[in-house]
Amino acid sequence: MDRLGTGIGWRPEIAEGVEALPDIDWVEVVAENICPGHLPDSLRRLRARGTVIVPHGVALGLGGAERPDPGRLAALAERAEALGAPLVSEHIAFVRAGGAGTGLPPTEAGHLLPVPRTRDALDVLCENVRIAQDSLPVPLAVENIAALFGWPGEEMSEGAFLSELVERTGVRLLIDVANLHTNHVNRGEDPCAALDRLPWEALAYVHVAGGVERDGVWHDSHGHPVTRPVLEVLEQLCARAVPPGVLLERDENFPPVARLAAELDAIRAVVEAARV
Amino acid sequence: MSEHTDGARERLGRAQAGLLACLVAGAPAPAGFDPERLQLQARALRAKRADIVAEVAPELPEILGTDVFRRLFHAYAARCPLRDNHRWDALDFAGFALERGRLARRERRTLKRWLRHRLGPAPR
Repeated sequence: MDRLGTGIGWRPEIAEGVEALPDIDWVEVVAENICPGHLPDSLRRLRARGTVIVPHGVALGLGGAERPDPGRLAALAERAEALGAPLVSEHIAFVRAGGAGTGLPPTEAGHLLPVPRTRDALDVLCENVRIAQDSLPVPLAVENIAALFGWPGEEMSEGAFLSELVERTGVRLLIDVANLHTNHVNRGEDPCAALDRLPWEALAYVHVAGGVERDGVWHDSHGHPVTRPVLEVLEQLCARAVPPGVLLERDENFPPVARLAAELDAIRAVVEAARV
Repeated sequence: MSEHTDGARERLGRAQAGLLACLVAGAPAPAGFDPERLQLQARALRAKRADIVAEVAPELPEILGTDVFRRLFHAYAARCPLRDNHRWDALDFAGFALERGRLARRERRTLKRWLRHRLGPAPR
């Protein structure tokens, strides 16, 4: 797997700060928020200096019941090409439902929702991932998401679900350690049980993000500092595999850039300690 | 090529549509789910929607004030599921705020002007 190194989620609000951060090997951009013909100057400057840029999609809904929309896939492919990206990433989630055959109107969720870990959902996801892979010019990595609730009647653990997905499609994995922590707090799922099952040769990179616990529920806010328990899941991951890339996500409530630099240092320290 | 996923797609589609109707359109919680957690998820989706609308149309919280914007947006979102993209959502919300928001005259006027301006040239 290509080495990506240490990166941060590029957002327009922190564009200047990201450019000023030392030792950033790569950035991720939300695919739907950029226009290939009119890339922000900041991204063009980063590219010119050799920073790798990976488009991260949020609207495909690969875990939805419908086949992925060819228009959305073409748009993602176009962004990968415009950015010269070595891969693209998306989520194991559904983002819309309703319409034909459901008796309910087509509706957008507006955010990522968990798919049930069932045989049905896995069969559909595998086919959707293969359709996406066929339309994309670069490899696809898919991310485990954070959930506030679980589906009743699930048939598989997160680890089993992800490993069978990889086995059947050859898709790469983007493992979000904050999301594993979220599911630990909110659904009682042990992150190590998932990590023990993962096919590590498929690991593309790792996400780290901050959140906050309120009334016993973890909110994966991307608007709070990265906490110790999330770094501990990263430690557990690094004890099992050397991640080809690690990326810090911050989407709101942006702190001074020095604070982001300190969080990146803490992440690097965990990754490097595991290598010794 | 075909894996005969039609049956699985139909079952999954019904389950996801039923859940989403609960989360964004006020339908009752489907059997087996924790209703409290679904309420939490529904609130999170409305808050996310409000954040994005405030991003694509920052004039809205400016005109209404952040608190009134949030309060009205939650009332609007609980009634009107997201039907397309967030730009249309901002316009639909502005219409809702004018109709139901009981705004002061000055805010009404500014919001009307904003809406007319936005509706003028065809949105992308």
